[in-house]
Amino acid sequence: MRQSRRIPVLGCLALLVMTAACQSNRDSGTTGTTGTTGSTAVRVTDVTLGRSIGGDKTITDRTDTFRANDTIYASVATDGSANTTTLRARWTFEDGQVVDESTRTIAPNNRERTEFHISKPGGWPTGKYKLEVFLDNQSVETKNFEIRGS
Amino acid sequence: MGIFDKLGGKKDERPRADFSDVQSGSSTTAAEPSVPAPRPDFEPTGTAGQDQTYTVVAGDSLSKIAKRYYDDANQWHRIHEANRDQITNPDLIHPGQRLRIPRA
Repeated sequence: MRQSRRIPVLGCLALLVMTAACQSNRDSGTTGTTGTTGSTAVRVTDVTLGRSIGGDKTITDRTDTFRANDTIYASVATDGSANTTTLRARWTFEDGQVVDESTRTIAPNNRERTEFHISKPGGWPTGKYKLEVFLDNQSVETKNFEIRGS
Repeated sequence: MGIFDKLGGKKDERPRADFSDVQSGSSTTAAEPSVPAPRPDFEPTGTAGQDQTYTVVAGDSLSKIAKRYYDDANQWHRIHEANRDQITNPDLIHPGQRLRIPRA
């Protein structure tokens, strides 16, 4: 008799603990600007190179070998939220010469993609190149690619 | 003396590539920061002790705003209650919204 009374009491206690846990999660800040979590650390999750890009800023023709007249696209995926974050793409030639350096300041909200592209009407010199991606002035990813004669 | 020496540059083994005509650009799926210097709007609307207003910027959440004003993210519901007329879903606030912040 005593045993059978204890089981519902334990069940109620478990229910209370689960309810409290859910409430705790709710209070911990699941509100967000667009219905997602609040400000979280932003990180670069992926960098891809290619010859063309889609509307969602993902690479549609991925490669690390380009021709002299190609436009070179880099798609930088980020995850996290912030009021302001700066992405920078530095493109360098094999001799260390900076080909281009572009900065984009964004207000990311969870998963976002930012693309950087470079082109050269006169045609790219053949050789090895490097893309370095910076997040808030900190180098986070490096991609090597090559321009080959057409 | 090579041409690079005459120009004051370093002597390279091969001619330096010319990247002067490189064109570049970028685009993103992310929002642009709402203002050039996205600083929170802490301007009080009245004297000390009265409610304040806060303009939501991208990346904000009620918890984050509560942390800023009350030093306690769990107080987000106070801001929600004070702005029931414009916040139906506390998970959804928008940049540019002006929220009333009850005094601490």
